[in-house]
Amino acid sequence: MAGPIVNDTPVKTTERKITIDPITRLEGHGKIEIFLNDAGNVENAYLQIPELRGFERFCIGRHVMELPVLTNRLCGVCPAAHHIASTKALDAVFGAEPTETAKKLRELFYMGQYTHSHIAHFYALAAPDFVLGPSAPANKRNVLGVVDAVGVPIGAEVIKHRSYGQKVQEIIGGRATHPVFGLPGGVSKQISEEERAQMEEMAKSCVEFGKFTIKLFHDVVLANKDYLGLVLNTDAYYLETYYMGMVDKNNKSQFYDGDIRVVDQKGKELVKFKPSEYLDVIAEHVEPWTYMKMPYLKKVGWKGFVAGPSSGMFRVGPLGRINACTGYTTPLAQKEYEVLAKTMKDLGVTGPVHHTLAYHWARVIELQHAGERMLELASDRKITSSDIRGPYKEPKEGVGICEAPRGTLIHHYAADKNGLCTKINMIVASTNNYAASNTSVVQAAKAMIKNGMVSQGLLNKVEMAFRCYDPCHSCGTHALNGGPALEVTIRRKDGTVVEKLRNF
Amino acid sequence: MPECVGRTVKTLLLGVGNPILSDDGAGIHAARMLKELAIPGIDVDELPASGLELLDVVLGYDRVIIVDAIKTEGGRPGDLYELREADFARTIHGYSPHGINIPTALAMGRSIVPERMPKEVLFFAIEADDIVNVSEELTPKVAEALPGIVKRIEQVLRQSL
Repeated sequence: MAGPIVNDTPVKTTERKITIDPITRLEGHGKIEIFLNDAGNVENAYLQIPELRGFERFCIGRHVMELPVLTNRLCGVCPAAHHIASTKALDAVFGAEPTETAKKLRELFYMGQYTHSHIAHFYALAAPDFVLGPSAPANKRNVLGVVDAVGVPIGAEVIKHRSYGQKVQEIIGGRATHPVFGLPGGVSKQISEEERAQMEEMAKSCVEFGKFTIKLFHDVVLANKDYLGLVLNTDAYYLETYYMGMVDKNNKSQFYDGDIRVVDQKGKELVKFKPSEYLDVIAEHVEPWTYMKMPYLKKVGWKGFVAGPSSGMFRVGPLGRINACTGYTTPLAQKEYEVLAKTMKDLGVTGPVHHTLAYHWARVIELQHAGERMLELASDRKITSSDIRGPYKEPKEGVGICEAPRGTLIHHYAADKNGLCTKINMIVASTNNYAASNTSVVQAAKAMIKNGMVSQGLLNKVEMAFRCYDPCHSCGTHALNGGPALEVTIRRKDGTVVEKLRNF
Repeated sequence: MPECVGRTVKTLLLGVGNPILSDDGAGIHAARMLKELAIPGIDVDELPASGLELLDVVLGYDRVIIVDAIKTEGGRPGDLYELREADFARTIHGYSPHGINIPTALAMGRSIVPERMPKEVLFFAIEADDIVNVSEELTPKVAEALPGIVKRIEQVLRQSL
């Protein structure tokens, strides 16, 4: 195969405003606006995310037991995360402690979600930038181009293991995409020994695929000095922020349950909190140019789109989790965590990894961990027990948090004595990351666009800054022509269009 | 999935969309109405997602008919478009920030598991009005058009028998 195309030739633009916009202009999709000054350098950039409307109104007055099924309809990408956070919120609302078997089944189900989601992101969305190159022609820089480059057998393994993730969710959750099994204090369905054995076999294969993916990441990304240069580029892809992620009592990374830990720019713990305490830790800032709120750490305060210890901006998701934890409970993920730490140390980086593109490395480590944890849980013969539901009390108010693949996900409900929903508040992962992902876009745009020189490759490198967050804003819209391509519009000062660049 | 004795062509009618997002769920609404008709030899399913999830559902079928919402510039809500995979050639190579679109998923399937992919995929795309506000109801114009749309799809399904 030909080598990846890392750079292309920029052309001079005399325009002041560059827009990276979905071709279809659906309201459910975001766009990036880049403003240039007279010298053709980036003055500012904005990641604009329109929000779906009316969900709160839709939920109020419904029975809270409906929420695990309704909230997961918000998203076609990570419905399982909403289902889990919602089910945990119901545990809290009904004062119900799930049985050990129910906890195991929920977590096993959730490892299926991580497997499916991280494979899809790494191979379909991130890999085109690395395998084909950030400046490769847009009509090749996609998942089909990746399959062409790496070969059909590897493509088939990708499809197979992503399907295993889906299958595990289907076996436990009742449906692969929009599960229906979560109940306060437990789950609705026991699994059979045959199903357990089937999941154990799939999990074994997922562990091997995790190893393969880590090796591929080393071979394709880390062994390429141009890519390593991009990863380590502190002008374009580097923010010293706070980090948030779920941990167990030993501060090892957890996806399903635990306390939420926040560390500072040096890796020191700022706060560790229980789900019910989230409002003491997180506040939300509003900007006039977007409907989306921007969560920040209350204790530190909102200081604008700047990094550093005085700014309450924080990051979640794979990089947030890997920085907020002290390692993994499973051996292969722990081993690669140590490889990452050593590699960074050799490069002079100690403490948290602030390099934004390291999200991808953290993600493949998490894929490995999800496979290993899936195998641990599926190998446990006690998981077929019929003890799947605990007692519950009169409904009140409660918070459920899990780590969605894209980051910390918070569901908060209140109910009256009949169980009807009186309040709902959700902070989704991509919202938690909104301030940081916007700041990353500004940073990358400033680093990549100089003196009015732009190209598709340079604009794609700006997109890479937010793509690694795996943003999933307003993801409930699946209209047939939704979200396929991106378009850059260069405008005159009065907004009229003079030129369009397309990535398809 | 029901097997039809003596038939060689397996057909799936798949409604795609989000049933709580107004007209985004038009394809799901149509699929539910078509399911009520219980047309012999036709499997009817719903997919409230897009992208690679589609592959899990369509593999093994000879013919797949997808009903989904679409939003075109200047389109009139409730209009129906009949499309084929080739009609998406212009958008097939792009990718969204968080997922891949249906035509790309189909192309990926044809590249990796061609022997299990349907020989024919037809799209019925229903022009949507509102795909932003959360609601289980269709907007009036789309709701009004739906019975006629279902009738047209039924006609195509029966022709395929």
